[in-house]
Amino acid sequence: MGEVSRRAFLVSGSAGAVAIAGVASGGLGTIGLASAEEGELTPDELEAVAAPMLLHVRDAAAGEIEILVEDQSVVVNDKTLVAKVLRAAK
Amino acid sequence: MSSHREAPAISKDPVADSADLYAFVSANDTVTIIANYVPAQFAAAGPNFYEFGDDVLYEIHVDNNGDGLPDVTYQFRFENQVTNPETFLYNTGPIDSLTSPNWNRRQLYSVTRVKSGTPTELGSSLPCPPCFVGRRSNPNYDDVAASAVRDLSGGGRVFAGQRADPFFVDLGSVFDLGTLRPFQDAHVIPLSGVSNEGRDSLRKSNVHTIAIQVPITALTSDGSRPTDPMAQNSVIGVWTAASRQKGSVLDGQGGCTAAGPFTQVSRLGNPLFNEVIVPMGDKDHWNAVAPDQDSGFAHYVAQPELAKLLPVLYPGVFPNLQGYTKDRADLLAILMTGIPAGVVPGFQNFTGGTQADYLRLNVAIPPSANENHLGLVAGDAAGFPNGRRLLDDVVTIELRAIAGLTIPLVDPSFTPDGATSAIEDGSFNPAERITLADFPYVGPPHSGYRVPGE
Repeated sequence: MGEVSRRAFLVSGSAGAVAIAGVASGGLGTIGLASAEEGELTPDELEAVAAPMLLHVRDAAAGEIEILVEDQSVVVNDKTLVAKVLRAAK
Repeated sequence: MSSHREAPAISKDPVADSADLYAFVSANDTVTIIANYVPAQFAAAGPNFYEFGDDVLYEIHVDNNGDGLPDVTYQFRFENQVTNPETFLYNTGPIDSLTSPNWNRRQLYSVTRVKSGTPTELGSSLPCPPCFVGRRSNPNYDDVAASAVRDLSGGGRVFAGQRADPFFVDLGSVFDLGTLRPFQDAHVIPLSGVSNEGRDSLRKSNVHTIAIQVPITALTSDGSRPTDPMAQNSVIGVWTAASRQKGSVLDGQGGCTAAGPFTQVSRLGNPLFNEVIVPMGDKDHWNAVAPDQDSGFAHYVAQPELAKLLPVLYPGVFPNLQGYTKDRADLLAILMTGIPAGVVPGFQNFTGGTQADYLRLNVAIPPSANENHLGLVAGDAAGFPNGRRLLDDVVTIELRAIAGLTIPLVDPSFTPDGATSAIEDGSFNPAERITLADFPYVGPPHSGYRVPGE
């Protein structure tokens, strides 16, 4: 996954942040609410997201993205995030 | 075939394709469960011989409370090891042991038991035997394969590797507009100059077997070893499933990245369920869901398409079946809830009101001293549809049932047509089906050197 999209969901709004925090409890270590803040990832954060991730925009109109990471699925509802991802893909 | 390539999607994914499932009571108060994958193998498969998918989660599920959901699950995960990536050969000399340095591509696997959501590893780095290339490559194949039977932590044994496919069916005939070779003279489309002798389409083909033998007490709801066949806790439901991670991306360099939860792509309980009962448009869906969702497929069982076709394909042979329009309560019981007490004296394998397709095994019924390959309908309560043994002739049993032989069990007003008891596809040939006296019971694979010449 490219840096643009990886950062895109890490810097998402509150709904996305809650979902990503849920992943953290499943083994992604240091990713937490703080990761939702704007800015570059720290080396520790980069280390924590080293596992392959796949992003699936399931419903663009509803802002629904499914993040597949390790053996888990996290659904994020964030229209701003979806907009960033789709615009990055153009 | 039983479930070989039985649905459009899974027919394109052989390593995840569940082909057959067997479950039977075995010696020393154990149950043996055999799940076969990677069907229809041509033995001469060099240079890349068959193997399990290292990206597939294989599971054997057991429901012991009748809700159609797993209470005990055995998970199997495989990994590949390549000794020398600089050669194109599977083996660079004879493979005379599981540790032979001549064996260039091997598989190891782990077994995990999941109960009440808690996983327990029962074995790791367990070896699969090699595929049977030929006698030069495998000078002592049976000994090497036997050494791949391993004990499991906490009791039981396991084996995973290539075997001869024990299933038999005249596939080429039955899918040629429902032809049963022994009865083809009565078919609506006559052919002249053809033999009426059945042919086993899977003769000399191999498969990859996952076999596990565990104490009965590891599978029952209360951890007991039931002895009363009529007791509710004596019946378990068994099915197998294969899953892949939800997402995958090709990296353009010959590799693939997968991520996400494992998602079911194949399952199997009763033989032929998805094959001949579920219609084309629902087969992939059926493969993706658990048995607790099977009430959504019950209408296909209640009015099976094949029962309507038989009187058309064989005019005048099945008039009573043709006139029977009620829902098939017999098939709904046999395949989806189990046979309740009072239908077959001294027997039941009823799991309750939840409709679920899986093998129902009454573990209080001991193995038969003299197996009848027609199982329960022939008075052998240790055979299909009480679980399934390797040589149970499930094609004949199910064809006869669909043709109406079992309707009188629930509807005494019905008289089966005279031809029903004589239905067979004619492919059963015990001499061709080599089974072992002990675990893993499935016979050794056919060697690439000898097939198809032998």
